[in-house]
Amino acid sequence: MEDNFSSYHPVISFFFFLFVICVSMFLMHPVFLAISFFSAFSYNLILYGIKKTLKNNLLFILPMMIIIALANPMFNHYGVTVITYLPTGNPVTLETIIYGIAMATMFCEVLLWFACYNEVMTSDKFIYLFGKIMPSISLMISMTLRFVPMLRNHMRVIANGQKCIGRDTSNGKTTDKIKNGVKKVSILTTWALENAIDRADSMRSRGYGLKGRTAFSIYRFDKRDRAILIVMILLAITFFVGNSTGNCYVSYDPIVKVKGIPLDLYSCITFLSYLTFCMLPVIVDLYDKYKWKALRNNINKKENRGYRLWT
Amino acid sequence: MDLIKIENFSFSYPEAKKSALSDININFEEGSFNIICGTSGCGKSTLLRQLKTVLTPNGNKKGEIYFKGKPLSQIDERNQSSKIGYVMQNPDNQIVTDKVWHELAFGLESLGFSTSSIRLRVAEMASYFGIQQWFYRNVTELSGGQKQLLNLASIMAMHPDVLILDEPTSQLDPIAASDFLETIKKINRDLGTTVIMTEHRLEDIFPYATKIIVIDNGKKLIEGNPREAGEELRRLKHKMFLALPAPMQIASYVESDEKSPLTVRDGRNYISDIVTRKNYSVKEDMIREYLDKKGDSGLKIFDENSETSKEKPVLEMKEVWFRYGREYPDVVKGLNLSINRGEIYCLLGGNGTGKSTTLSLLSRINVPYRGKIFINGKDIRKYRDKELFTSFLGVVPQNPQSLFVKKTVELELFEMLGGPKERLNDDYNLSLDKKEIIENIAKVTRIEGLLSQHPYDLSGGEQQRLALAKILLLRPKILLMDEPTKGLDSFFKDEFAGILQTLKKHGVTIFMISHDIEFCARYADRCGMFFDGNLVTQNNPTDFFSGNSFYTTTANRMARSFFPKAVTVKDVIKCLKKEM
Amino acid sequence: MSEKRNVDEFLDLWFDDKKIEQYKMPIPENPMVSKLSKLFRVLKTDAQDEIFVSIEDYYSRQETSKKLTKRTIVTLIILLLMSPLTIAFGILFMGDRKYTFIGIMLMFYAIIPFFMGFESRKPQTRELIVIAVLSAIAVLGRTAFIMVPMFKPILAIIIISGVTFGPEAGFLVGAVSMFISNFFFGQGPWTPWQMFSAGIIGFVAGVLFRKGLLKRTRVSLCLFGFLAAIFIYGGIMNPAALIMYTSHITIEGIIGIYISGIPVDLAHATSVVIFLWLISKGMIEKLERIKKKYGLLV
Repeated sequence: MEDNFSSYHPVISFFFFLFVICVSMFLMHPVFLAISFFSAFSYNLILYGIKKTLKNNLLFILPMMIIIALANPMFNHYGVTVITYLPTGNPVTLETIIYGIAMATMFCEVLLWFACYNEVMTSDKFIYLFGKIMPSISLMISMTLRFVPMLRNHMRVIANGQKCIGRDTSNGKTTDKIKNGVKKVSILTTWALENAIDRADSMRSRGYGLKGRTAFSIYRFDKRDRAILIVMILLAITFFVGNSTGNCYVSYDPIVKVKGIPLDLYSCITFLSYLTFCMLPVIVDLYDKYKWKALRNNINKKENRGYRLWT
Repeated sequence: MDLIKIENFSFSYPEAKKSALSDININFEEGSFNIICGTSGCGKSTLLRQLKTVLTPNGNKKGEIYFKGKPLSQIDERNQSSKIGYVMQNPDNQIVTDKVWHELAFGLESLGFSTSSIRLRVAEMASYFGIQQWFYRNVTELSGGQKQLLNLASIMAMHPDVLILDEPTSQLDPIAASDFLETIKKINRDLGTTVIMTEHRLEDIFPYATKIIVIDNGKKLIEGNPREAGEELRRLKHKMFLALPAPMQIASYVESDEKSPLTVRDGRNYISDIVTRKNYSVKEDMIREYLDKKGDSGLKIFDENSETSKEKPVLEMKEVWFRYGREYPDVVKGLNLSINRGEIYCLLGGNGTGKSTTLSLLSRINVPYRGKIFINGKDIRKYRDKELFTSFLGVVPQNPQSLFVKKTVELELFEMLGGPKERLNDDYNLSLDKKEIIENIAKVTRIEGLLSQHPYDLSGGEQQRLALAKILLLRPKILLMDEPTKGLDSFFKDEFAGILQTLKKHGVTIFMISHDIEFCARYADRCGMFFDGNLVTQNNPTDFFSGNSFYTTTANRMARSFFPKAVTVKDVIKCLKKEM
Repeated sequence: MSEKRNVDEFLDLWFDDKKIEQYKMPIPENPMVSKLSKLFRVLKTDAQDEIFVSIEDYYSRQETSKKLTKRTIVTLIILLLMSPLTIAFGILFMGDRKYTFIGIMLMFYAIIPFFMGFESRKPQTRELIVIAVLSAIAVLGRTAFIMVPMFKPILAIIIISGVTFGPEAGFLVGAVSMFISNFFFGQGPWTPWQMFSAGIIGFVAGVLFRKGLLKRTRVSLCLFGFLAAIFIYGGIMNPAALIMYTSHITIEGIIGIYISGIPVDLAHATSVVIFLWLISKGMIEKLERIKKKYGLLV
């Protein structure tokens, strides 16, 4: 599903994901975790819809979370509040359990953010971003992305060709299957590489390799992008300043120490700035939807008026 | 003014004894439309590649090429890149990036244009070529014709002074090809861009050219306007004569004082003139030279009760329905088709009508959801793979390269028999000499001189024949082919037809789908017209093509008002002779 | 048994089932042949193809390519210098999450010099294309076997690339193919780890080959592939998993994750060996022809 935030300039999307993923990965404060988890989940809902989001998460992320949450107290035995003892004689502590849950949340939200990243940061946006810094590599990535579907197509043609000379082995012996698979890969390699010379010629003949190559893109950095970038930077600064005052300190070892709760002014500002930052895509998208609805109502009204005038 | 001038130019490849080009003098005027013709391997591609330094192969050069009065070697790469545009044969191999818009901008990026000027030029090109609709697409989703148009557009974006095209339509179907050629004409007409191209689909483009250059054996043979070139070819009795547009060929057999026609329209008038005034004679020596030699079918009398039709058909489809998935539309709709032993059957029809799907059903790659297919009277599903594909069906893939795996042609052939060792295996259980088999098959397919070469070093036509040879090693009784003449020039086509005729003589049935009307008219025993998942009509070529008014050969379109049954050039000549 | 026939007679015979019947021979089938020895025969027939003979001689003679380039050495120095600095920073400032931080930063440090070295060299057009094609084949290999976990030809193709086109190309094919295939599989915190470990395998393969320690024989390549899959790929990816979801790295934890990873690593390594055994010779030969044809001197 195309959301409004993905239509912003690639720099915006990249900056956003860089920030949220890094913060989610490195800061373990429970409030941060909660904010990040909530935002990532809501953005997933917007991008994938309810059904797909739940399916993805219940199938893969939930079991992962449980495993991680359980693994921590099994292998780590620090902390002071002993709850029970394992058969091996090692203690199970409250601190390790809490830390396990925090860890699991962290891991899960990183995955959720990456799910959004995959949908928003398409390959061409990535190539655009790095085209200026790494022109050869990004061109290579672009070419690889072109070759993969092309070669997959070739592979199908090759498989059909082999089938039609009686070398179909889909229900044959394993040894034949392997032999045939290797032959297909071999045909594919030659086919792809031998024809690649044309491509090199076509690149050279269009001046590839001249000095001063530029990188064209269909993306434009406009006013809307500038506005949201300023907002993002301000929020990020607020967040870092607030964070560096130590208001959001957390420690799980040896005892659980959480600062900033109950809320005071500083921690409140820090949390709020983080929440706003993480929720930006959701806010942008919802606002956009609201605007359209309002616009359409407006148009309808005008049309109605016009209709009355004409009749 | 001369845009490009080639002066006393010779070229030879590093280890070759013979020079590839010798002593060539040509000048290409600004705004002209030039066609370079010649048989495969005559050196025309080598010549084109000399016109752009980065594409020039290694070798010894003599003489000089001037671009706008300056030697080409003194023009820097930047200028050459933008001013000399070069489009190659295979549309797929030239595209570099994964997005259409990126591909359009590729050359401009290399030249270092700013984003805003690239945006302008790309927008211009997209509008001029009608690319807006697929501007944001992935290039993989485009059709062959669209891909070649994209290649052209991405070169035109650099605003070249000259456009060089090396057989640009050989991989396209006829409709895409004629669209592409129209675009080239439009560019030449609207923008005044000089065009230099090699092309074997001369029908559409020959009359439009301002200059024709015929290259033979690395030498310039003829240079002149289309009419002069045609007459000269006839005078020299050159093989290229057979590649000329049909009206020119027909006129060449006729002795009359009328001016020889270039287009079908001229050709109609020409015929009506000479037939009504009866002031012509047919050149007997020409007929002996060209027409009686080759075994084309021409004006055959088809006996309904002939021997072949009595026999049980070797291939039969009964009420066959197929679609690619439950939710997809039907591609083949209740198709009935039967093919007799030892005939050449051509299935014609537009793109996307389901021809290729029908072929995939016959070769059991896909299975119909309703209806039955019989081979030799037995249901196709009841054959084991080995049984079906060795000694019954031989399927020649459209792209021969999808079969090549070894490093020489000979090993490629041995591969089908399970390796070069004379020992029995699953793929080979005959007491015949493997060497002898391969020798003979190579002779039949005329690749006997190429056995030590790498398959990828062969030309397109030779690769096609190697693929056929590989398939023949399976002893197929029925050959299924998907556009076997695609990308072949007229000599390779003739050679290929000769092979098919030999096979037919030995009882092999040939079923092919094709876009190539002229080829089918000359060599098929029966043709079928495919439309919307079914067979609309089928008949012998004479009745088939004379029954159509658009979908027919050039010769027929030209002569149909007088000789409705004349389908090939030969038919028209025979009729003219009778009429005399 | 073979009297000379002309083409017509031959074709008559060839396409006539009745006539050819008299030449048919039963294929001798040994019922004692077990599946395993059959497999062996399959592997052997391929090996006996005489097209592979001369490559090794050809390469043992090429003395010049054994030297390490300067850039390779510089890359190694950067690697050795940056790592301790990052580790120190991580320990001092990142507290709880130091391992994740250090790990990911190290991966980036390790990958970037390769990319930058490649960029600054202004690679030939043909080189770019060959690397892109090889990466695409590797990606296809990874997606083609999606149903069989851990049974992937990707490392085999990377090793072959490294051996044929040198350490740098090996690294690039590895890193790019892992990166691209994650466009299909999904990017995640694992991407830099995978990119690095696959890349370094290609790199090491190239270096060892130039140093003459890795030969282009099947046995040598397979041995290397096996060790690389277990010690390099497994060696990096196992602790990477640990680092990603715990903060307290203990010896027990590391040993634990290695032990639990053994079956997976073994399966992976076996698949690499199988693929290398089957495709290495043919692939190397084909790549060599391309190298000659394109004039690529690596």
